[in-house]
Amino acid sequence: MRQLQSLLFVIGFFFLGTSASDYHEQLLLRPLHPSLLLASFNFQSNTSWESFEQQNFRYFPRSLGQILQHANTRELHLRFSLGRWDAESWGARPWGGAREGGTGVELWAWVEAETDEEANGRWLTLTNALSGLFCASLNFIDSTRTTRPVMSFQPSEGHANSTLENLHLLHGTLPREVVCTENLTPFLKLLPCKGKAGISSLLDGHKLFDASWQSMSIDVRPICAAGESDCQLQITQTIDMVLDIQRSKRPRDNPIPRPVPFEELKCDHSKPYNSHDTCYPLDTAAQEEGWSLSQIFGHSLKGSCPLATDGVDPVCINVPHARHVFTSNGAQEHKDPGGFLRCFGLASEGDFDITLPQQDISEKAPLEQPLLYAERSFIGYGQERGGVQAILTNPSPTQSVDFVYMESIPWFMKLYLHTLKAKINGLDKDVIQEMYYRPALDRKRGTQLEVRILIPANSTVVLTYDFEKAILRYTEYPPDANRGFDIAPAVITIGNVSIRTTSLLLPLPTPDFSMPYNVIILTSTVMALSFGFVFNLLVRRFVAVDEADQWDVRSVRLKIAAAARRLLLRFRKRAVVKKDQ
Amino acid sequence: MKLNNLLQLPLVLASFLAPTFVSAEHTSNWAVLVSTSRFWFNYRHLANVLSLYRTVKRLGIPDSQIILMLPDDMACNPRNAFPGTVYSNADRAVDLYGDNIEVDYRGYEVTVENFIRLLTDRMGEEMPRSKRLLTDDRSNILVYMTGHGGNEFLKFQDAEEISAFDLADAFEQMWEKKRYHEILFMIDTCQANTMYSKFYSPNIIATGSSEIDQSSYSHHADNDVGVAVIDRYTYYNLDFLETQVREPSSKMTLGDLFDSYDESKIHSHPGVRWDLFPGGEPGGRERLVMDFFGNVQNVEVDNAGNATEWKEDILALGKKIAELRKRADEADAAAAESENSSTAHPLFEAYTPQRIRASKVEVDDKWWGKKAIGAWALAGCSLVWLVGTYLEAP
Repeated sequence: MRQLQSLLFVIGFFFLGTSASDYHEQLLLRPLHPSLLLASFNFQSNTSWESFEQQNFRYFPRSLGQILQHANTRELHLRFSLGRWDAESWGARPWGGAREGGTGVELWAWVEAETDEEANGRWLTLTNALSGLFCASLNFIDSTRTTRPVMSFQPSEGHANSTLENLHLLHGTLPREVVCTENLTPFLKLLPCKGKAGISSLLDGHKLFDASWQSMSIDVRPICAAGESDCQLQITQTIDMVLDIQRSKRPRDNPIPRPVPFEELKCDHSKPYNSHDTCYPLDTAAQEEGWSLSQIFGHSLKGSCPLATDGVDPVCINVPHARHVFTSNGAQEHKDPGGFLRCFGLASEGDFDITLPQQDISEKAPLEQPLLYAERSFIGYGQERGGVQAILTNPSPTQSVDFVYMESIPWFMKLYLHTLKAKINGLDKDVIQEMYYRPALDRKRGTQLEVRILIPANSTVVLTYDFEKAILRYTEYPPDANRGFDIAPAVITIGNVSIRTTSLLLPLPTPDFSMPYNVIILTSTVMALSFGFVFNLLVRRFVAVDEADQWDVRSVRLKIAAAARRLLLRFRKRAVVKKDQ
Repeated sequence: MKLNNLLQLPLVLASFLAPTFVSAEHTSNWAVLVSTSRFWFNYRHLANVLSLYRTVKRLGIPDSQIILMLPDDMACNPRNAFPGTVYSNADRAVDLYGDNIEVDYRGYEVTVENFIRLLTDRMGEEMPRSKRLLTDDRSNILVYMTGHGGNEFLKFQDAEEISAFDLADAFEQMWEKKRYHEILFMIDTCQANTMYSKFYSPNIIATGSSEIDQSSYSHHADNDVGVAVIDRYTYYNLDFLETQVREPSSKMTLGDLFDSYDESKIHSHPGVRWDLFPGGEPGGRERLVMDFFGNVQNVEVDNAGNATEWKEDILALGKKIAELRKRADEADAAAAESENSSTAHPLFEAYTPQRIRASKVEVDDKWWGKKAIGAWALAGCSLVWLVGTYLEAP
């Protein structure tokens, strides 16, 4: 708990200092496991509402600011995530899950508009503009993927009361969207130091997209001091990643693990069979892995960002004070009295590096326990129907948890609401407090379901429902239809904390895509045959062989002669008529 | 009048002749780089396009003037042993994905429809500028395509095709809309030369990797990546561009580039089409490689020296702005006034438009009551029927 307090103390820095226009950045390193490291990058800047309106941007990125103004967006949250957070062994999520999105891309915003149609129009403008800015297919967030959640998301407290009535919350997810370097490039360009100096210089696509779990987020929200008219707009950008220390230390040009040479093998000599050709590898899990910033990120930190306001130490590390930490010259160390946190102020010039040597140490920074464990999976079988099961466990022995479970399901997964059941510890019991539902319309919108559930202490709720799989039209299938269709993660909100389950891969019945060609070829053949048959019947007279006129050269000659005579006669007649006239 | 016309004759003639003089002049360079293949085993097609992307970027075309279409994700693919990286050579010297890349169309966005819409600029107003080809009649465009093709078609994502006729018509529409000055069209697919055989618009030089009934082959594979990393035709094009066109001031011509093709190395017969280009083959061969692969900015000065005219223009513009501003202020004032007056009508104030919202699912308290009413109704009906049958009975 003490450690949590000190963490809050660090985070608190960001919320306290709100002068007219300022910028802070901080990197927090937290070993999760002997061989895993959580690196949380946080960048935050403020601008006054007045200068934002006048397009007078200082730290606030102009490219994003103009999009927000153009689309009348008052609050924006954008997430790019990859991987799965392993809550069982890594503990609670960074920032309480508030800076995290579901796999792929997630976007929600409060748009100011008079009517719903206007809000939809502005949402379309916003998603398209952001798709251009962030090189992501955000323009695929159309009406079928947009929902308007009721309970799960609340606007920040900084909105003026006059605008609050006209704010529309729109939420969209793209679980299939790939997150890669082209998304990181524009993300870094929004920062005041653009990844050239300060902690952002550590960010590199090669390491970020090699992480076991990563999440990039952008939040823009208004902040108003109570009873004051001058409001501020705050932009927070975060990148959280869980790096595998051993994998990160592999050289970039040779990342494929190869067998360790015999000389470097560390053998357990206590084994009776240990000999020159038999080796039982030593268990190194108890040992803290040695690492340094330059090993993990590929290069060291390139000096502090000169635009950052003084007062916040840019680099912090969450390890017990007994752990040896060496830094390069010129850095000032500040130890937190809590015993598990130390921060470093950087020299304005020169590279900065942290080295943690290999060390045998029993003391470890404690991990915070999450409020809730959640997992979701498909049940059932077959091509026609299926079911979803969400297992939600409250690990606390004393406190019950009240939370909102939100699903947005595409229209081709047809939910049967009457099959929705919640079982608590295997027993049917009424745990659903409240429920909001908006059914799907084929090809127009998806299903939206929000359920408020109360889980008593130390119990497990299993939420299940059934659905039917729709058959799509031939042209509606994507090029890789047999891969399956991604279903967006469920969002679980417990006050300020949020948890997202993993996305699901739904196999839909897919046709044989060469089938239309078979059909076309077969139909054409049948048509040609029947047409030829009918046509023959219509234009020919069928007679028996012996009834048919015998083929005779003479008769043909006579026929031609008769035709010629007839023509001649006609010409003559015409000539006579002309003469008469 | 007649004399006037005669006097203007040289001017008219000059304006007719002018295009031949300034035909070398273009004021912007654009590149449209398209890969059309999805799936991991088509790694080489993305590597082809990315190596062209690196080359045109190296020679000066900025990201804002490059439209890059990547139908699949190779860099962050779980199958890729080198995360965030795409290589086009087994020596792995150059990381094509790098740290600074902007992909304009990716994944499912790479479709025939989007490609033709991009060329002809038929898009909704919500389309961001970075995804549009904002060219004019002074823009030179490099169009590079790679994927799997056949006789007069090219497959997109293994799901649909673009035909040579579609492409020719799209270029014609671009010409009619004055969307290009000159185009260099390069294509690396099987039977590539058939793709440009239907072009009929002027000012296009086209080249392809292989003739009809010929395959285009990959160059080599990287054992650690696990698949072929580049195609032969693109490899030797790059080889020329890397070794001969080293800086933007290079004077290498398209003739030099096309002469460098060695059929024994490429394993197919690359073709070039000159007949659409003014001046034909001799004219086209003289054009610099940098006219299409680099960013050469020529500045055209319009009506230089006529100072009074632009001063007048600026004055008129200033007046117009003042007038518009006045009008906007008036409109604002009117709106404020009407707002004030509307407060007199509380009816309008109370009106709040109905919002789209999920509806609350609630437990029906009157469930038993409704059941009882239903049961009574059923019982009543059967009673009436019974009474009827009793009365009708003899």
